[in-house]
Amino acid sequence: MAILEIKDVTSGYGEVQILWGANLDIEDGRLTSLVGANGAGKTTLMRTIMGSIKPWQGSVIFQGQDISSLPAHAKAEMGVVLVPEGRQLFTDMSVEENLEMGASPKRARANVKQNLEFVYEMFPRLKERRAQKSGTMSGGEQQMLAVARGIMAEPVVLMIDELSLGLAPVLVLDLFQSLIRLKNAGLTMILVEQNVQMALAVSDYGYVLAQGQVEIAGPSQDLAENEHVRSAYLGH
Amino acid sequence: MDFLFTSILDGLMLGFVYGLAAMGLTLIWGVMNVINLSHGPIISLGMFGVYLLFTFLGMNPYIALIFVALFGLLLGIVIYFVAVNRVIDAPHLSTLLATFAVAMIITGLGTAVFTASPRNVDYSLGSVTIGNATIPVTRIVAAVLSVLITAGLYLYLHRTRSGRYIRAVANNRSAAELMGVPSVRILALSFGIGTMLAALAGGLISTLFPFTILAGGTYELKSFVIGVLGGLGNPIGALFGGLILGVLEGIIPTFMPATWVPVLEFGLFVLILLVRPQGLFGAKKS
Ligand SMILES: Nc1ncnc2c1ncn2[C@@H]1O[C@H](COP(=O)(O)OP(=O)(O)OP(=O)(O)O)[C@@H](O)[C@H]1O
Ligand SMILES: [Mg+2]
Repeated sequence: MAILEIKDVTSGYGEVQILWGANLDIEDGRLTSLVGANGAGKTTLMRTIMGSIKPWQGSVIFQGQDISSLPAHAKAEMGVVLVPEGRQLFTDMSVEENLEMGASPKRARANVKQNLEFVYEMFPRLKERRAQKSGTMSGGEQQMLAVARGIMAEPVVLMIDELSLGLAPVLVLDLFQSLIRLKNAGLTMILVEQNVQMALAVSDYGYVLAQGQVEIAGPSQDLAENEHVRSAYLGH
Repeated sequence: MDFLFTSILDGLMLGFVYGLAAMGLTLIWGVMNVINLSHGPIISLGMFGVYLLFTFLGMNPYIALIFVALFGLLLGIVIYFVAVNRVIDAPHLSTLLATFAVAMIITGLGTAVFTASPRNVDYSLGSVTIGNATIPVTRIVAAVLSVLITAGLYLYLHRTRSGRYIRAVANNRSAAELMGVPSVRILALSFGIGTMLAALAGGLISTLFPFTILAGGTYELKSFVIGVLGGLGNPIGALFGGLILGVLEGIIPTFMPATWVPVLEFGLFVLILLVRPQGLFGAKKS
């Protein structure tokens, strides 16, 4: 069953329409990847699902409930959690305070201790730097923190907008490994990625977004073998 | 040398109160990048709050402060929702005008009700002599309370959940919203705390000097100088800025006419803006 349904969603900025009727079904417990060219509207779609920008038309259904018009904080409270593009850390706060901020939703408050241990074990670097101001960390460390902060919210659906952008290959591998761990633990995730090959390799299902609409959808393996996807996004 | 010692001591005492007066202004700026032009009139309301409770109900001025603080908090939340919230994302000029309108309303109503004649809280705790300096005890109490309130603010911002939310919203509002923080409520609360601090400062000042309903304006101007000294957006820096200003005000009149005080203060203001715009004690970048 789809835990999150995006139905004919349109949205944009001011007068400029970016999404032209996007349809996605996010299945429970699966890792779904969302790929597409720069400017295709992936980030806009994430923001629209989250409620940072309001959908113009269409609906966002979460666990059978229409949440289209809820503000972002209410969705986070329900377990729809976004690791935003560009990380958006609390740069003046320490690593640990950022993680505590991640655990703000009421549903996440009971298990802060265990969750902290879990993310510290997943990203030992963060533990070493727990007292450091997050704004002074390296790009890779900041990315780990952004993901860890998302996990602290005990998400029902975790959406990650750009996991690997600008990171060294070793670190990309690390982060993808963490992702697989989360997936094996049963977490439902949406992954927006520039690294299409990696994204399709780890995900169960994939969507290709083009000009604000879903261009192709299917099991990730099929997408990876699809002629059009190969020539347009995989470069062979 | 004795008179210099007296002036410095005097200035330091006042400086703590000045710092408290500036703290609310700088907190609001730090959290939401709004320059609250109703800051001065709210300081005046704090003065009148203590004055009225003391004069007509015979309440101890320091007990009256508690009511003044609550009033300041609620008033700030109301002002936020009525005047600030709808223009919070608009350019600075809009929030400046909105809070200026609030200032005009408070000052207009205040003048109509209380007239512009001077009042004072006729309350004394005697004085103490340190060396050759004689200091009214009310000044010492005001200074101590200012330090305690500052410490309380620091602990609140750093040790409580809602305090942490305030810092998070100040740092990155949209990210805080993504973490489940209802940012509008937090902004309203921050504005309320900012005006509460202004009202408290006014209440304390009323135990030290005579005042009119317009007196808050002077402290608002000082608050800008202090804010720039301590780093706008840094409430704790405000305390140090206040101390510097207080000491300057104590020392300057000992070797030149007191009318030079504002000239030097604002000269300093411009100088700091030119050479060290982030304030002497650093500040958050916005
Ligand atoms: N805040 C904004 N205001 C106006 N236009 C915007 C804004 N953010 C994005 N856009 C525009 O919306 C379109 C889609 O952008 P979006 O960020 O959703 O693309 P994307 O698929 O995430 O791209 P990328 O892979 O580069 O991250 C782009 O043309 C972009 O210029
Ligand atoms: Mg994007």
